[in-house]
Amino acid sequence: MQEQLSLIDLVLHASFTVQAVMVLLLLASMLSWYMIVNRFIYFRNARDEMYQFEERFWSGIDLAQLYREGNEKTADGHLVIGMESIFRAGFKEFSRLAQQEEIDSEAVLEGSRRAMRVAAMREEERLERHLAFLASVGSTSPYIGLFGTVWGIMHSFRGLANATQATLATVAPGISEALVATAMGLFAAIPAVLAYNRFASKVDLLSNRYDTFMDEFSGILYRQVYALRSRDRRAG
Amino acid sequence: MSDSVYAKPVAPRIILRPALASLFLHAVVIYLMTVNWSASEPEVVKVTPVPKAINARLVDVSEFRPQPKPKPKAKPKAKTSSKPKPVAKAKPKPKPKPVAKPKAQAKPAPKAEPKPKPEPRITEAELAAIARADLARAVAEEEQQVEATATAEEMAASYAALIQQTVVNYWSRPPSARNGMEALLAIQLIPTGEVVSVSVLKSSGSTAFDRSAINAVEKAGSFPELQKLPPREFEKTFRRFRLLFRPEDLRY
Repeated sequence: MQEQLSLIDLVLHASFTVQAVMVLLLLASMLSWYMIVNRFIYFRNARDEMYQFEERFWSGIDLAQLYREGNEKTADGHLVIGMESIFRAGFKEFSRLAQQEEIDSEAVLEGSRRAMRVAAMREEERLERHLAFLASVGSTSPYIGLFGTVWGIMHSFRGLANATQATLATVAPGISEALVATAMGLFAAIPAVLAYNRFASKVDLLSNRYDTFMDEFSGILYRQVYALRSRDRRAG
Repeated sequence: MSDSVYAKPVAPRIILRPALASLFLHAVVIYLMTVNWSASEPEVVKVTPVPKAINARLVDVSEFRPQPKPKPKAKPKAKTSSKPKPVAKAKPKPKPKPVAKPKAQAKPAPKAEPKPKPEPRITEAELAAIARADLARAVAEEEQQVEATATAEEMAASYAALIQQTVVNYWSRPPSARNGMEALLAIQLIPTGEVVSVSVLKSSGSTAFDRSAINAVEKAGSFPELQKLPPREFEKTFRRFRLLFRPEDLRY
């Protein structure tokens, strides 16, 4: 009696190893899509906030005022990310060091630069979260799927050895169910690889922007600290 | 105020939307896969025998008389070669006569005179020939249009009906057949219309009934009419299809 094969039947009748592989791949696919959407939202937010902040920063606003606005934001429970947090770290360190008159201007600049570099590192770390997972799903899930397929085919051929009459119909269902594993592996891998490449280039883009901003901002701080020190010298 | 902004490097919590998106996407993919899988199953041709009765009716003698007229209607269906004949023969002869002659005469002579002349020239037989030719042409045109507009699905449906009819004729039900029994057969055809394989997909529960259904298909053997079906349509519908045997006309 012939049995109509459906996808569900194929999955349900697969051997345990193949089923385990399929479950693993399904989980990997779901997680990687979770991370893709998560990263997508995060990058979009980071980009939008970067543009907003840059506009605000170059609008000629007083830097102390900008810093205070950031304070209000954090008090509201709003998380400061991206370029603004670099700015806050640098400006905080700068104002703290500049208040102490015995520290010379080079040391003040160096200190604020260091603080900004640390902040930028943290930002990059945040941007790169989950990307390693995407990369490893992209590179390993085809192999996992292939393993499931090979196992399934081994299984169905071993069953064939016991059968007296070897027809295509005795091996075909086994091979078909085994191939589902490879299909799932590819299904998980392709979006993960695409997303990884796209996000990696975005991380590069954003961190370049952060570096540029750091240089620009230290230029401004340089001017300020020399003006401050020369005033101090004249006064003191 | 000594603690840094980075005392705890927290990332913004973006959880709900990605989780929902991921779940939704996978649900859709799985649903589409399973739905498509079952939708590609071959279609079922139902075999439900109509009670066998001889169609008889009273025929009037007068009904036989107008038969020559409907003939051109019936003929083009069966034979396409017979169609052009009445059109080709009847058309060229009568037409040039009435058209060419009155014009040639109309120029030198006054208008009123030439008119009555050509009219008696057309005999009754010729008139009938013209009428028949017109009719044949109209029928042929109509048929061509119908053929062009008839969708492939309609054709497939008519062939399915033909297969059903053929199989029913060969089906001799066992005495154990009861109303409500159903046997589903999977049948494979090749483009010449021959049956290559018959197997039971869903048994009716009675082996005799199943056997009778298989026998009916095997006796029918081939459906050469399917050769006329365009290959694509054949692949879509009849390469593998399913026959449902279900007696409904039994009394018990």
